[in-house]
Amino acid sequence: MDFKAKRPQKEIKYEELRIYTDEELHNYSEEELKDFKIKHDIPMLEELEKGPWPSFVTDAKREALRRKKLPKERMMIDPDVVDDLLGQLELSFVDGETHWKHGGIVGVFGYGGGVIGRYSDVPEKYPSVAHFHTLRVNQPASKFYRTDYLRALADLWEFRGSGIFNMHGSTGDIILLGTTTEQLEPLFYDLTHELDQDLGGSGSNLRTPSCCIGKARCEFACIDTQDLCYELTTHYQDELHRPAFPYKFKIKIDGCANGCVASIARSDMSLIGTWRDEIRIDQEAVRAYINGEIEPNGGAHSGRDWGKFDIQKEVIDLCPTGCMTMEDGKLVINDQECNRCMHCINVMPRALRPGVDSGVSILFGAKAPILEGAQLAVLTVPFMKAEPPYDNIKELLEKVWDWWIEEGKNRERLGELIQRKGLPRFLEVIGVPAAPQMVKMPRTNPYIFWKEEDVPGGWKRDIKDYRLRHKR
Amino acid sequence: MMEEIKQAILEFAETSKKSKFYFKDLEKAVQAKIPDAKMRDIKKAATELVNEEKLIYFSTGSTTMYGLKGRGITEDQ
Amino acid sequence: MALSQERFGKYNPEKPTENRITDIGPRHFWDFFPPVIQKNYGKWLYHDILEPGIMVHVAENGDKVFTVRCGGARFMTAENIREICDIADKYCDGYVRFTTRNNIEFMVTSYEKVEALKNDLLSRKYITGSYKYPIGGTGAGVTNIVHTQGYIHCHTPATDASSMVKAIMDELMDYFTGMTLPAHVRISVACCLNMCGAVHCSDIALLGIHRKPPIVDDNIDSICEIPLAIAACPVGALSPGKTEDGRKTIKVKEERCMFCGNCYTMCPALPIADKFGDGVAVLAGGKISNRISEPKFSKVIVPWLPNNFPRFPEVVDTVKKIIEVYAADARKYERIGDWAERIGWEKFFEKCDLPFTEHLIDDYRLAYDTYRTSTQFKYTRAAWEVSRAAGGIKD
Repeated sequence: MDFKAKRPQKEIKYEELRIYTDEELHNYSEEELKDFKIKHDIPMLEELEKGPWPSFVTDAKREALRRKKLPKERMMIDPDVVDDLLGQLELSFVDGETHWKHGGIVGVFGYGGGVIGRYSDVPEKYPSVAHFHTLRVNQPASKFYRTDYLRALADLWEFRGSGIFNMHGSTGDIILLGTTTEQLEPLFYDLTHELDQDLGGSGSNLRTPSCCIGKARCEFACIDTQDLCYELTTHYQDELHRPAFPYKFKIKIDGCANGCVASIARSDMSLIGTWRDEIRIDQEAVRAYINGEIEPNGGAHSGRDWGKFDIQKEVIDLCPTGCMTMEDGKLVINDQECNRCMHCINVMPRALRPGVDSGVSILFGAKAPILEGAQLAVLTVPFMKAEPPYDNIKELLEKVWDWWIEEGKNRERLGELIQRKGLPRFLEVIGVPAAPQMVKMPRTNPYIFWKEEDVPGGWKRDIKDYRLRHKR
Repeated sequence: MMEEIKQAILEFAETSKKSKFYFKDLEKAVQAKIPDAKMRDIKKAATELVNEEKLIYFSTGSTTMYGLKGRGITEDQ
Repeated sequence: MALSQERFGKYNPEKPTENRITDIGPRHFWDFFPPVIQKNYGKWLYHDILEPGIMVHVAENGDKVFTVRCGGARFMTAENIREICDIADKYCDGYVRFTTRNNIEFMVTSYEKVEALKNDLLSRKYITGSYKYPIGGTGAGVTNIVHTQGYIHCHTPATDASSMVKAIMDELMDYFTGMTLPAHVRISVACCLNMCGAVHCSDIALLGIHRKPPIVDDNIDSICEIPLAIAACPVGALSPGKTEDGRKTIKVKEERCMFCGNCYTMCPALPIADKFGDGVAVLAGGKISNRISEPKFSKVIVPWLPNNFPRFPEVVDTVKKIIEVYAADARKYERIGDWAERIGWEKFFEKCDLPFTEHLIDDYRLAYDTYRTSTQFKYTRAAWEVSRAAGGIKD
């Protein structure tokens, strides 16, 4: 198995790319850090330096100290940005209100997304963060990295920005927190030319697609999540960078129904790996689980004594479809009745494995509450093969986009449009027949929107003809 | 065709009461003048106008809009 | 080539399109996979959690990869990233991974290396004593909290995230470094109803909310497009108006406001945030996974708690209480939502000692679906209070 980028990619060697010397990188001592105070009083934030969980405040302070000790010309924005960021955060705690305002800036030249304008509303107190924009950098699928890349990115961002990151933002991007308008283009230039790396999405664009770890290190994954994610991301670069959608559009890819990237709850198009043949069973391993030779659920419950593993109680009785039985010491699964919930496979991963004829279930329309209330994604295509170049998935997606762009109101998510127009209309648009798999239950009201062509003779009737049979 | 669409976008942007437009506004305005203009061509035309620095993108945070460069509230507050 | 070190680098502001590279997308994932991952891609047979935070994945050919998972604050400095790189270079041949839930994963190919890596990670502490890289977040415990930006860098939050997460995780550390719960518990924080983090399907969700309607800036007509702002209101609470001096403005029908903040998202002249209005709603019982039961939404169980910076004691206590009651009462494999549904929400409120108020009954769209339309209920103190108020009982 081997996957290749669509085009040759620059190899990243930190030693060639680096900005800071070793001396500059180690420019403060532990002692200095102990005595270090930032330039503002931050008693509430300092309270957050206590306790066992990693303290973002203490982390930020070392960046503040490091910037202070670097020669000024070794950073293209103010050395005090971390001090001022913390100072403004403390003020927000005092005031119980944020002090950031939003500007219209959206990107580098020609891009309608990837940069989020950010301005302080107290610039006189915190001048270095007066203009402090966010950049979204499109993460590699499933977030594996080589340190050469991360170190180069750290140098670049410390030199042209605040040196503060989110690893990662909710949608999946690497978030660079804070730089000036002036530095956006130089940063983008080096990002693309030297790191061979593009920005992610924001605004009414395709947002940066994301996926789970998939087959890279998970025995449950039914599809090549990274490859599909990379393919869709690169194929739809125009949609990602230049907005023509009514609102945001998110694509997320889960390798199985466990849903580690939560695609079913937070993506307009949710692709979830599944299979259509049978669960593979290793009866010897089943017996090993029963005999207590293997810890159930990969040892996930080993912190407490739950008693001896009981296959009847823990697997067979919890199966939502009741499709499993023990017969003559063998586990029997009626795969026709299985709904592939993953529970039995999760509990006995060494004995049970997903089938091999795999593909995706496709669901549409999940979103957070703004505005019509939160929605989960609707199962629309029960099963689709997912193999490169994924043309079947792209065709379906483009049909959905065309309809949404045409019919969607401004700031209306796909799920809201489906709600407004009805699932039947959506099915018509993408050209699939209705199926009971798409609903929890059939409708309970009889108000069916019949169409004229559904009824023999159509809707045109002659009242005179009617009156021949019925007097007024 | 592309030039016509671009012209229609600019005329709309210059004469509209609003100074920021959703893509949909542009699409409707163009199709009122050029009924067979396709969505994807309108997007291409808008992109070209951005690249020619006649249109700008504008963001409210979650939503991106188009604006005429120099008209209304722009990126520099 | 090297990263540029001049003010504008190799970018020429006079010619912005010169040598411009666009639309190249992300780095390809394959080169970032460690050799053992490349070699065994798609060939993993099973995994075991050896101890909290430490997993082994075993491939068809017997190859093993050991993963040490550490919690991280998603807010991270360049200095922190370099330290992570130092660790990855020392033990993992220069590879490292981040998870969807802001954890950091270090992978090695032999168990011998795990011990050294583990000791190194746990020895790294900040000068104030907190762990830099606490190990845990696997199996039936609490893993890292996914969260949004908050006051650190957002213009619409109703609360702060990084501070709340730190405060909660300090208290839940034993659940992060242990696997003692009936099933895993996923906690999420979102700072406003925009929910960048889409927390609405979490076992426990903390959500920043507003409680005061927007106020209107005098200069609204020069700050934003009034029609856009009016259209942003989902309940028609905004309408066009005129100021005393005849300028265009917006009128707010305050009694209609549902405090979603969508108006402010569209128009900075309608600020909605307020020190005393804003706070935290607690939601519980949601899940993403299709395992056993279907994915489901979290439900609002506490309508509002104060933004008590920096440690949110009321929020932390509520979260801790729910987890403790759940830990004692739920069955193995049962998620918080499954447990609450089995015992009934009325029992959930009684056992967790949470007051039930009218704020917790839905009156937005499709609310009727959440009303109980059966006689299948359990008696709790709350039921007797209703009976008493209705004149049904005297005791």
